Amino acid sequence: MDEIIFELKDIHYSYLGKFPALRGVDLDIVKGSMVSVIGANGTGKSTLLQILDALIQPQKGQVKAFGKEINEEAFKDEEFSRFFRSKVGLVFQNSDVQLFCPTVKEDIVFGPLQLGVEHGEIRKRLDGLVESLGIKDLLERSPHQLSVGEKRKVAIASTLAMDPDVLLLDEPTAGLDPATVRHIIDILIDAHEKGKTIITATHDLHILEEISDVIHVFNREKCIARSGFAWDILADSELLEANNLVHIHKHRHKDKVHAHRHDHRLDHHHEEHS
Amino acid sequence: MSNGFIERSLLGVFSFLKESVSSEEYAAKRGLLQFIEARVKVLIFACLLIAVVSVRNTSILYVFYSVCVLLAVFSGISLGYFLKRTWVFIPLFSLFIAIPALFSVFTPGDTLVTFQLAGARFIITWQGFDGAVLFVMRVATSVSLVVLLNLTTRQTELLRTLRIFGIPQIFVMTLSMCYRYIYLFAEIIEHAYIGIKSRVGTALHYKKGQHIVAWKIANLWERSQQLNEEVYNAMLSRGYTGEPKVLERSLGIKSRAPSLKQNRIL
Repeated sequence: MDEIIFELKDIHYSYLGKFPALRGVDLDIVKGSMVSVIGANGTGKSTLLQILDALIQPQKGQVKAFGKEINEEAFKDEEFSRFFRSKVGLVFQNSDVQLFCPTVKEDIVFGPLQLGVEHGEIRKRLDGLVESLGIKDLLERSPHQLSVGEKRKVAIASTLAMDPDVLLLDEPTAGLDPATVRHIIDILIDAHEKGKTIITATHDLHILEEISDVIHVFNREKCIARSGFAWDILADSELLEANNLVHIHKHRHKDKVHAHRHDHRLDHHHEEHS
Repeated sequence: MSNGFIERSLLGVFSFLKESVSSEEYAAKRGLLQFIEARVKVLIFACLLIAVVSVRNTSILYVFYSVCVLLAVFSGISLGYFLKRTWVFIPLFSLFIAIPALFSVFTPGDTLVTFQLAGARFIITWQGFDGAVLFVMRVATSVSLVVLLNLTTRQTELLRTLRIFGIPQIFVMTLSMCYRYIYLFAEIIEHAYIGIKSRVGTALHYKKGQHIVAWKIANLWERSQQLNEEVYNAMLSRGYTGEPKVLERSLGIKSRAPSLKQNRIL
Protein backbone atom coordinates (compact mmCIF):
# COMPACT_ATOMS: atom_id res chain seq x y z
CA MET A 1 0.00 0.00 0.00
CA ASP A 2 1.21 3.51 -0.87
CA GLU A 3 2.53 5.51 2.07
CA ILE A 4 0.74 8.83 2.45
CA ILE A 5 3.13 11.55 3.62
CA PHE A 6 0.80 14.54 3.51
CA GLU A 7 -2.84 14.38 4.48
CA LEU A 8 -4.87 17.59 4.25
CA LYS A 9 -8.49 17.70 5.40
CA ASP A 10 -10.88 20.60 4.82
CA ILE A 11 -8.12 23.24 4.74
CA HIS A 12 -9.20 26.87 4.91
CA TYR A 13 -6.84 29.82 4.85
CA SER A 14 -7.42 33.53 4.37
CA TYR A 15 -5.03 36.47 4.45
CA LEU A 16 -5.76 39.11 7.12
CA GLY A 17 -8.85 37.08 7.90
CA LYS A 18 -10.76 38.50 4.94
CA PHE A 19 -9.01 37.50 1.69
CA PRO A 20 -9.64 33.78 1.21
CA ALA A 21 -6.80 31.81 -0.37
CA LEU A 22 -7.99 28.25 0.22
CA ARG A 23 -11.50 27.00 0.89
CA GLY A 24 -12.02 23.42 1.95
CA VAL A 25 -9.06 21.66 0.34
CA ASP A 26 -8.74 17.90 0.81
CA LEU A 27 -5.54 16.35 -0.44
CA ASP A 28 -3.45 13.22 0.06
CA ILE A 29 0.10 13.02 -1.21
CA VAL A 30 1.76 9.68 -1.67
CA LYS A 31 5.45 9.17 -0.98
CA GLY A 32 7.62 9.16 -4.10
CA SER A 33 4.92 10.62 -6.34
CA MET A 34 5.11 13.57 -8.71
CA VAL A 35 2.21 15.87 -8.02
CA SER A 36 1.34 19.13 -9.70
CA VAL A 37 -1.03 21.79 -8.50
CA ILE A 38 -2.30 23.93 -11.33
CA GLY A 39 -4.60 26.90 -11.48
CA ALA A 40 -4.77 30.48 -12.67
CA ASN A 41 -3.10 33.27 -10.69
CA GLY A 42 -4.55 33.78 -7.23
CA THR A 43 -6.12 30.36 -6.84
CA GLY A 44 -4.13 29.49 -3.72
CA LYS A 45 -1.29 27.35 -5.12
CA SER A 46 1.51 29.20 -3.31
CA THR A 47 -0.51 29.26 -0.09
CA LEU A 48 -0.94 25.49 -0.31
CA LEU A 49 2.83 25.01 -0.69
CA GLN A 50 3.50 27.22 2.33
CA ILE A 51 1.03 25.17 4.35
CA LEU A 52 2.74 21.97 3.20
CA ASP A 53 6.06 23.47 4.31
CA ALA A 54 4.47 24.44 7.66
CA LEU A 55 5.38 28.11 7.19
CA ILE A 56 1.75 29.08 7.75
CA GLN A 57 -0.97 27.21 9.58
CA PRO A 58 -4.51 26.85 8.22
CA GLN A 59 -7.25 28.64 10.13
CA LYS A 60 -9.49 25.62 9.75
CA GLY A 61 -8.83 22.00 8.89
CA GLN A 62 -6.11 19.49 9.64
CA VAL A 63 -2.68 18.91 8.12
CA LYS A 64 -0.80 15.71 8.81
CA ALA A 65 2.76 15.16 7.64
CA PHE A 66 4.68 11.93 8.15
CA GLY A 67 1.83 10.73 10.34
CA LYS A 68 1.94 13.68 12.74
CA GLU A 69 -0.46 16.60 12.95
CA ILE A 70 1.27 19.82 11.90
CA ASN A 71 0.56 22.86 14.02
CA GLU A 72 2.52 25.43 16.02
CA GLU A 73 2.61 23.09 18.98
CA ALA A 74 4.33 20.39 16.91
CA PHE A 75 7.14 22.80 15.99
CA LYS A 76 7.87 23.61 19.63
CA ASP A 77 9.44 20.16 19.70
CA GLU A 78 12.97 20.90 18.40
CA GLU A 79 13.57 17.32 17.35
CA PHE A 80 10.43 17.20 15.22
CA SER A 81 11.14 20.67 13.82
CA ARG A 82 14.59 19.55 12.67
CA PHE A 83 13.18 16.28 11.33
CA PHE A 84 10.47 18.09 9.33
CA ARG A 85 12.85 20.73 7.93
CA SER A 86 15.29 18.06 6.81
CA LYS A 87 12.49 16.13 5.10
CA VAL A 88 10.71 18.98 3.27
CA GLY A 89 12.31 21.66 1.09
CA LEU A 90 10.57 24.56 -0.62
CA VAL A 91 11.82 26.41 -3.69
CA PHE A 92 10.21 29.84 -3.53
CA GLN A 93 8.68 31.56 -6.53
CA ASN A 94 10.85 34.65 -6.02
CA SER A 95 14.47 33.48 -5.96
CA ASP A 96 15.59 36.79 -4.45
CA VAL A 97 13.69 35.82 -1.32
CA GLN A 98 15.53 32.53 -1.06
CA LEU A 99 19.03 33.75 -1.85
CA PHE A 100 19.87 35.97 1.10
CA CYS A 101 23.53 35.07 1.72
CA PRO A 102 26.50 37.08 0.41
CA THR A 103 27.60 34.33 -2.00
CA VAL A 104 26.02 31.48 -3.92
CA LYS A 105 28.17 28.95 -2.05
CA GLU A 106 26.99 30.21 1.33
CA ASP A 107 23.39 30.11 0.15
CA ILE A 108 23.69 26.49 -0.98
CA VAL A 109 25.17 25.30 2.32
CA PHE A 110 22.93 27.46 4.55
CA GLY A 111 20.23 24.78 4.93
CA PRO A 112 22.49 21.82 5.76
CA LEU A 113 24.50 23.97 8.19
CA GLN A 114 21.35 24.96 10.11
CA LEU A 115 20.27 21.33 10.20
CA GLY A 116 23.59 20.31 11.72
CA VAL A 117 24.74 18.16 8.81
CA GLU A 118 28.36 17.11 9.18
CA HIS A 119 30.82 19.29 7.23
CA GLY A 120 32.23 16.42 5.17
CA GLU A 121 28.73 15.51 4.04
CA ILE A 122 27.94 19.17 3.19
CA ARG A 123 31.09 19.36 1.09
CA LYS A 124 30.03 16.16 -0.72
CA ARG A 125 26.53 17.49 -1.40
CA LEU A 126 27.91 20.84 -2.57
CA ASP A 127 30.32 19.18 -5.00
CA GLY A 128 27.56 16.91 -6.33
CA LEU A 129 25.15 19.81 -6.92
CA VAL A 130 27.81 21.99 -8.50
CA GLU A 131 28.59 19.17 -10.90
CA SER A 132 25.00 18.23 -11.78
CA LEU A 133 23.69 21.80 -12.10
CA GLY A 134 26.77 23.22 -13.80
CA ILE A 135 27.07 26.15 -11.41
CA LYS A 136 30.77 26.00 -10.55
CA ASP A 137 31.44 29.45 -12.00
CA LEU A 138 28.70 30.99 -9.86
CA LEU A 139 29.87 29.78 -6.46
CA GLU A 140 31.80 32.87 -5.36
CA ARG A 141 29.38 35.33 -6.94
CA SER A 142 26.80 37.37 -5.08
CA PRO A 143 23.17 36.38 -5.87
CA HIS A 144 22.39 39.85 -7.24
CA GLN A 145 24.96 39.30 -9.98
CA LEU A 146 23.05 36.32 -11.39
CA SER A 147 20.50 36.11 -14.20
CA VAL A 148 16.94 34.97 -13.44
CA GLY A 149 17.69 31.45 -14.71
CA GLU A 150 20.91 31.21 -12.70
CA LYS A 151 19.11 32.41 -9.57
CA ARG A 152 16.44 29.74 -10.04
CA LYS A 153 19.07 27.00 -10.44
CA VAL A 154 20.89 28.19 -7.32
CA ALA A 155 17.59 28.36 -5.40
CA ILE A 156 16.88 24.74 -6.40
CA ALA A 157 20.44 23.78 -5.44
CA SER A 158 20.04 25.46 -2.03
CA THR A 159 16.97 23.32 -1.38
CA LEU A 160 18.43 20.10 -2.81
CA ALA A 161 21.50 20.61 -0.60
CA MET A 162 19.26 19.78 2.36
CA ASP A 163 18.58 16.43 0.67
CA PRO A 164 14.86 16.57 1.48
CA ASP A 165 12.51 13.67 0.78
CA VAL A 166 9.85 16.10 -0.41
CA LEU A 167 10.60 18.90 -2.83
CA LEU A 168 8.02 21.68 -3.08
CA LEU A 169 8.42 24.02 -6.05
CA ASP A 170 6.52 27.23 -6.61
CA GLU A 171 6.43 28.15 -10.31
CA PRO A 172 9.93 26.73 -10.95
CA THR A 173 9.96 27.57 -14.66
CA ALA A 174 8.19 30.94 -14.71
CA GLY A 175 9.98 33.50 -16.89
CA LEU A 176 12.83 31.22 -17.94
CA ASP A 177 14.25 30.54 -21.39
CA PRO A 178 13.52 27.11 -22.96
CA ALA A 179 17.00 25.67 -22.33
CA THR A 180 16.87 26.54 -18.62
CA VAL A 181 13.32 25.14 -18.39
CA ARG A 182 14.60 21.89 -19.89
CA HIS A 183 17.47 21.77 -17.43
CA ILE A 184 15.14 22.34 -14.48
CA ILE A 185 12.75 19.60 -15.68
CA ASP A 186 15.72 17.23 -15.94
CA ILE A 187 16.78 18.13 -12.40
CA LEU A 188 13.27 17.35 -11.13
CA ILE A 189 13.04 14.07 -13.02
CA ASP A 190 16.46 13.09 -11.67
CA ALA A 191 15.38 13.96 -8.11
CA HIS A 192 12.23 11.88 -8.57
CA GLU A 193 14.26 8.92 -9.84
CA LYS A 194 16.25 9.16 -6.63
CA GLY A 195 13.00 8.59 -4.71
CA LYS A 196 12.00 12.14 -3.85
CA THR A 197 8.41 13.32 -3.80
CA ILE A 198 8.00 16.28 -6.13
CA ILE A 199 5.14 18.73 -5.62
CA THR A 200 5.01 21.56 -8.12
CA ALA A 201 2.69 24.55 -8.29
CA THR A 202 2.57 25.96 -11.79
CA HIS A 203 0.43 27.21 -14.61
CA ASP A 204 2.99 26.26 -17.22
CA LEU A 205 1.11 23.37 -18.84
CA HIS A 206 3.97 22.55 -21.20
CA ILE A 207 6.01 20.95 -18.42
CA LEU A 208 3.19 19.14 -16.64
CA GLU A 209 3.24 15.85 -18.42
CA GLU A 210 6.89 15.29 -17.64
CA ILE A 211 6.78 16.28 -14.00
CA SER A 212 3.38 14.94 -12.90
CA ASP A 213 1.77 11.62 -12.17
CA VAL A 214 -1.22 13.34 -10.60
CA ILE A 215 -2.57 16.84 -11.18
CA HIS A 216 -4.89 18.85 -8.94
CA VAL A 217 -6.68 21.71 -10.66
CA PHE A 218 -7.51 24.70 -8.45
CA ASN A 219 -10.37 26.95 -9.42
CA ARG A 220 -11.41 30.55 -8.74
CA GLU A 221 -13.35 29.38 -5.67
CA LYS A 222 -9.93 28.46 -4.16
CA CYS A 223 -10.65 24.79 -3.98
CA ILE A 224 -9.83 21.72 -6.03
CA ALA A 225 -11.98 21.58 -9.17
CA ARG A 226 -10.67 18.19 -10.23
CA SER A 227 -7.86 15.75 -9.51
CA GLY A 228 -6.65 13.07 -11.85
CA PHE A 229 -3.83 11.53 -13.84
CA ALA A 230 -1.81 14.00 -15.87
CA TRP A 231 -2.91 12.68 -19.26
CA ASP A 232 -6.62 12.81 -18.35
CA ILE A 233 -6.43 16.33 -16.99
CA LEU A 234 -4.44 17.66 -19.94
CA ALA A 235 -6.91 16.06 -22.36
CA ASP A 236 -9.85 17.83 -20.72
CA SER A 237 -9.79 21.07 -22.67
CA GLU A 238 -13.09 22.28 -21.25
CA LEU A 239 -11.81 21.96 -17.69
CA LEU A 240 -8.59 23.78 -18.57
CA GLU A 241 -10.42 26.52 -20.41
CA ALA A 242 -12.94 26.96 -17.60
CA ASN A 243 -10.03 27.48 -15.21
CA ASN A 244 -8.11 29.97 -17.36
CA LEU A 245 -5.37 27.49 -18.14
CA VAL A 246 -5.71 27.41 -21.92
CA HIS A 247 -6.45 30.07 -24.43
CA ILE A 248 -7.51 30.37 -28.03
CA HIS A 249 -4.69 30.75 -30.57
CA LYS A 250 -5.30 32.83 -33.64
CA HIS A 251 -2.94 32.78 -36.56
CA ARG A 252 -2.99 33.48 -40.26
CA HIS A 253 -2.79 30.92 -43.07
CA LYS A 254 -2.20 33.05 -46.17
CA ASP A 255 -5.33 35.23 -46.23
CA LYS A 256 -7.42 33.22 -43.73
CA VAL A 257 -7.40 33.67 -39.93
CA HIS A 258 -7.42 30.33 -38.20
CA ALA A 259 -8.38 29.89 -34.51
CA HIS A 260 -7.99 26.85 -32.27
CA ARG A 261 -7.40 25.89 -28.65
CA HIS A 262 -3.82 25.77 -27.48
CA ASP A 263 -2.91 22.10 -26.99
CA HIS A 264 -0.41 21.24 -24.25
CA ARG A 265 -0.26 17.49 -24.68
CA LEU A 266 3.05 16.19 -25.87
CA ASP A 267 1.51 14.48 -28.91
CA HIS A 268 4.41 13.55 -31.12
CA HIS A 269 5.66 10.76 -33.31
CA HIS A 270 9.02 9.07 -33.07
CA GLU A 271 10.38 8.51 -36.52
CA GLU A 272 11.95 5.17 -37.16
CA HIS A 273 15.54 5.45 -38.21
CA SER A 274 17.04 2.59 -40.02
CA MET B 1 15.41 71.11 -18.29
CA SER B 2 14.93 70.76 -14.53
CA ASN B 3 13.28 67.35 -15.06
CA GLY B 4 16.29 66.25 -17.09
CA PHE B 5 18.57 67.41 -14.30
CA ILE B 6 16.50 65.56 -11.65
CA GLU B 7 16.37 62.45 -13.82
CA ARG B 8 20.13 62.45 -14.38
CA SER B 9 20.71 63.06 -10.67
CA LEU B 10 18.36 60.27 -9.59
CA LEU B 11 19.75 57.75 -12.05
CA GLY B 12 23.26 58.85 -11.07
CA VAL B 13 22.48 58.27 -7.40
CA PHE B 14 21.02 54.80 -8.11
CA SER B 15 23.92 53.86 -10.32
CA PHE B 16 26.44 55.11 -7.72
CA LEU B 17 24.63 53.25 -4.94
CA LYS B 18 24.53 50.00 -6.90
CA GLU B 19 28.15 50.40 -7.91
CA SER B 20 29.21 51.14 -4.33
CA VAL B 21 27.39 48.10 -3.03
CA SER B 22 28.23 45.63 -5.73
CA SER B 23 31.46 46.60 -7.44
CA GLU B 24 34.15 44.03 -6.92
CA GLU B 25 36.09 45.09 -9.97
CA TYR B 26 38.98 46.57 -7.97
CA ALA B 27 38.92 43.83 -5.34
CA ALA B 28 39.53 41.32 -8.14
CA LYS B 29 42.59 43.19 -9.46
CA ARG B 30 46.13 42.26 -8.57
CA GLY B 31 47.49 45.19 -6.60
CA LEU B 32 49.27 46.10 -3.41
CA LEU B 33 46.27 46.18 -1.09
CA GLN B 34 44.55 43.24 -2.76
CA PHE B 35 47.60 41.15 -1.94
CA ILE B 36 47.26 41.72 1.81
CA GLU B 37 45.09 39.23 3.70
CA ALA B 38 41.72 40.69 4.69
CA ARG B 39 42.21 40.33 8.45
CA VAL B 40 45.65 41.94 8.36
CA LYS B 41 44.32 44.70 6.14
CA VAL B 42 41.41 45.46 8.48
CA LEU B 43 43.81 45.59 11.41
CA ILE B 44 46.22 47.94 9.59
CA PHE B 45 43.41 50.23 8.46
CA ALA B 46 41.87 50.31 11.94
CA CYS B 47 45.26 51.45 13.36
CA LEU B 48 45.61 54.05 10.59
CA LEU B 49 42.11 55.37 11.30
CA ILE B 50 42.89 55.74 15.01
CA ALA B 51 46.10 57.58 14.10
CA VAL B 52 44.26 59.91 11.70
CA VAL B 53 41.60 60.91 14.21
CA SER B 54 44.24 61.45 16.90
CA VAL B 55 46.62 63.63 14.86
CA ARG B 56 46.35 67.41 15.47
CA ASN B 57 48.88 68.49 12.88
CA THR B 58 47.61 69.27 9.37
CA SER B 59 51.00 68.54 7.75
CA ILE B 60 50.96 64.97 9.10
CA LEU B 61 47.42 64.58 7.74
CA TYR B 62 48.69 65.71 4.31
CA VAL B 63 51.25 62.90 4.51
CA PHE B 64 48.55 60.38 5.49
CA TYR B 65 46.33 61.55 2.66
CA SER B 66 49.20 61.32 0.16
CA VAL B 67 49.85 57.78 1.35
CA CYS B 68 46.15 56.96 0.66
CA VAL B 69 46.44 58.32 -2.87
CA LEU B 70 49.64 56.34 -3.47
CA LEU B 71 48.02 53.18 -2.10
CA ALA B 72 45.13 53.69 -4.50
CA VAL B 73 47.53 54.04 -7.43
CA PHE B 74 49.58 50.97 -6.44
CA SER B 75 46.37 48.97 -6.00
CA GLY B 76 45.30 49.62 -9.57
CA ILE B 77 42.43 51.96 -8.67
CA SER B 78 41.70 54.69 -11.19
CA LEU B 79 42.68 57.95 -9.52
CA GLY B 80 39.67 59.81 -10.94
CA TYR B 81 37.30 57.14 -9.63
CA PHE B 82 39.00 57.08 -6.22
CA LEU B 83 38.85 60.89 -5.80
CA LYS B 84 35.22 60.99 -6.97
CA ARG B 85 34.27 58.17 -4.62
CA THR B 86 36.08 59.87 -1.70
CA TRP B 87 35.24 63.52 -2.15
CA VAL B 88 31.54 62.94 -2.77
CA PHE B 89 31.24 62.16 0.95
CA ILE B 90 33.33 65.06 2.26
CA PRO B 91 30.64 67.78 1.99
CA LEU B 92 28.14 65.42 3.63
CA PHE B 93 30.36 64.97 6.66
CA SER B 94 32.12 68.28 6.95
CA LEU B 95 30.15 71.11 5.32
CA PHE B 96 27.97 71.98 8.27
CA ILE B 97 30.80 71.74 10.78
CA ALA B 98 33.80 73.12 8.90
CA ILE B 99 32.19 76.22 7.32
CA PRO B 100 30.76 77.76 10.53
CA ALA B 101 34.11 77.05 12.24
CA LEU B 102 35.79 79.47 9.80
CA PHE B 103 34.07 82.49 11.32
CA SER B 104 35.07 84.52 14.32
CA VAL B 105 31.70 83.91 15.96
CA PHE B 106 32.66 80.28 16.54
CA THR B 107 36.46 80.49 16.43
CA PRO B 108 37.79 83.83 17.68
CA GLY B 109 41.35 84.80 16.67
CA ASP B 110 43.45 86.74 14.17
CA THR B 111 41.61 88.07 11.15
CA LEU B 112 42.29 86.36 7.81
CA VAL B 113 39.49 87.81 5.64
CA THR B 114 36.65 90.23 6.30
CA PHE B 115 33.58 90.64 4.10
CA GLN B 116 30.06 92.03 4.18
CA LEU B 117 26.98 90.04 3.21
CA ALA B 118 23.38 91.34 3.41
CA GLY B 119 24.54 94.20 5.62
CA ALA B 120 26.28 91.89 8.09
CA ARG B 121 30.07 91.86 8.63
CA PHE B 122 31.76 88.46 8.60
CA ILE B 123 35.29 87.70 9.78
CA ILE B 124 37.16 84.54 8.89
CA THR B 125 39.96 83.91 11.37
CA TRP B 126 43.34 82.17 10.89
CA GLN B 127 42.52 79.86 13.77
CA GLY B 128 39.11 79.09 12.25
CA PHE B 129 40.67 78.43 8.84
CA ASP B 130 43.31 76.10 10.33
CA GLY B 131 40.63 74.25 12.32
CA ALA B 132 38.43 73.84 9.25
CA VAL B 133 41.33 72.57 7.11
CA LEU B 134 42.35 70.13 9.86
CA PHE B 135 38.78 68.86 10.11
CA VAL B 136 38.30 68.48 6.35
CA MET B 137 41.67 66.74 5.94
CA ARG B 138 40.86 64.39 8.81
CA VAL B 139 37.51 63.51 7.24
CA ALA B 140 39.03 63.19 3.75
CA THR B 141 41.80 60.88 4.98
CA SER B 142 39.45 58.76 7.09
CA VAL B 143 36.96 58.40 4.22
CA SER B 144 39.84 57.59 1.84
CA LEU B 145 41.01 54.79 4.13
CA VAL B 146 37.53 53.31 4.39
CA VAL B 147 36.99 53.58 0.63
CA LEU B 148 40.37 51.93 -0.02
CA LEU B 149 39.53 49.06 2.31
CA ASN B 150 36.10 48.67 0.77
CA LEU B 151 37.31 48.80 -2.83
CA THR B 152 40.19 46.36 -2.43
CA THR B 153 38.44 43.74 -0.30
CA ARG B 154 35.55 41.53 -1.34
CA GLN B 155 32.39 42.10 0.69
CA THR B 156 32.28 38.47 1.79
CA GLU B 157 35.85 38.70 3.09
CA LEU B 158 35.11 41.94 4.93
CA LEU B 159 32.05 40.47 6.57
CA ARG B 160 33.93 37.34 7.57
CA THR B 161 36.65 39.51 9.04
CA LEU B 162 34.10 41.17 11.31
CA ARG B 163 33.30 37.73 12.69
CA ILE B 164 36.97 37.05 13.35
CA PHE B 165 37.14 40.25 15.39
CA GLY B 166 34.48 38.88 17.72
CA ILE B 167 31.41 40.64 16.33
CA PRO B 168 28.38 38.36 16.97
CA GLN B 169 27.32 36.20 14.04
CA ILE B 170 23.74 37.48 14.09
CA PHE B 171 25.03 41.06 13.60
CA VAL B 172 27.32 40.03 10.73
CA MET B 173 24.50 38.08 9.11
CA THR B 174 22.06 40.99 9.40
CA LEU B 175 24.67 43.32 7.93
CA SER B 176 25.34 40.99 5.01
CA MET B 177 21.60 40.70 4.34
CA CYS B 178 21.25 44.50 4.42
CA TYR B 179 24.02 44.70 1.86
CA ARG B 180 22.33 42.06 -0.28
CA TYR B 181 18.93 43.74 -0.28
CA ILE B 182 20.06 47.38 -0.64
CA TYR B 183 20.95 46.47 -4.20
CA LEU B 184 17.55 44.87 -4.78
CA PHE B 185 15.74 47.94 -3.46
CA ALA B 186 17.92 50.32 -5.50
CA GLU B 187 16.81 48.33 -8.54
CA ILE B 188 13.16 48.47 -7.50
CA ILE B 189 13.35 52.27 -7.09
CA GLU B 190 15.09 52.65 -10.44
CA HIS B 191 12.48 50.51 -12.21
CA ALA B 192 9.66 52.36 -10.45
CA TYR B 193 11.09 55.68 -11.63
CA ILE B 194 11.32 54.44 -15.23
CA GLY B 195 7.77 53.02 -14.91
CA ILE B 196 6.43 56.38 -13.75
CA LYS B 197 8.29 58.20 -16.49
CA SER B 198 6.91 55.86 -19.16
CA ARG B 199 3.35 56.65 -18.05
CA VAL B 200 3.43 60.32 -17.12
CA GLY B 201 6.17 61.63 -19.40
CA THR B 202 8.59 64.29 -18.22
CA ALA B 203 6.35 67.34 -17.65
CA LEU B 204 4.73 66.85 -14.27
CA HIS B 205 3.20 69.34 -11.87
CA TYR B 206 5.23 69.43 -8.68
CA LYS B 207 2.19 68.58 -6.53
CA LYS B 208 1.50 65.48 -8.60
CA GLY B 209 5.21 64.67 -8.38
CA GLN B 210 5.10 64.92 -4.59
CA HIS B 211 2.03 62.69 -4.56
CA ILE B 212 3.76 60.03 -6.69
CA VAL B 213 6.94 60.14 -4.59
CA ALA B 214 4.92 59.80 -1.35
CA TRP B 215 3.00 56.88 -2.82
CA LYS B 216 6.23 55.20 -3.99
CA ILE B 217 7.81 55.60 -0.54
CA ALA B 218 4.75 53.96 1.04
CA ASN B 219 4.80 51.23 -1.58
CA LEU B 220 8.49 50.57 -1.02
CA TRP B 221 7.95 50.38 2.72
CA GLU B 222 5.19 47.83 2.18
CA ARG B 223 7.38 45.81 -0.17
CA SER B 224 10.24 45.81 2.30
CA GLN B 225 7.89 44.53 5.01
CA GLN B 226 6.63 41.82 2.69
CA LEU B 227 10.16 40.86 1.64
CA ASN B 228 11.22 40.78 5.27
CA GLU B 229 8.51 38.24 6.05
CA GLU B 230 9.21 36.14 2.97
CA VAL B 231 12.96 36.03 3.60
CA TYR B 232 12.37 34.99 7.20
CA ASN B 233 10.07 32.21 5.96
CA ALA B 234 12.75 31.13 3.48
CA MET B 235 15.22 30.94 6.37
CA LEU B 236 12.80 28.96 8.54
CA SER B 237 12.13 26.61 5.65
CA ARG B 238 15.84 25.76 5.54
CA GLY B 239 16.07 24.98 9.22
CA TYR B 240 16.96 28.38 10.72
CA THR B 241 16.10 28.47 14.41
CA GLY B 242 17.35 31.90 15.45
CA GLU B 243 21.02 31.04 15.84
CA PRO B 244 22.68 31.24 12.43
CA LYS B 245 25.39 28.75 11.60
CA VAL B 246 27.60 29.86 8.76
CA LEU B 247 30.15 28.56 6.34
CA GLU B 248 33.60 28.10 7.79
CA ARG B 249 36.83 28.09 5.85
CA SER B 250 37.04 24.32 6.23
CA LEU B 251 34.40 24.11 3.51
CA GLY B 252 36.72 25.66 1.03
CA ILE B 253 35.99 29.39 0.80
CA LYS B 254 39.21 30.68 -0.60
CA SER B 255 40.58 34.19 -0.58
CA ARG B 256 42.50 35.49 -3.53
CA ALA B 257 44.98 36.84 -1.03
CA PRO B 258 47.39 34.42 0.62
CA SER B 259 46.52 33.20 4.10
CA LEU B 260 48.15 34.54 7.26
CA LYS B 261 50.47 31.53 7.31
CA GLN B 262 51.43 32.02 3.66
CA ASN B 263 52.05 35.71 4.33
CA ARG B 264 54.51 34.82 7.04
CA ILE B 265 56.32 32.48 4.67
CA LEU B 266 56.33 35.12 1.93
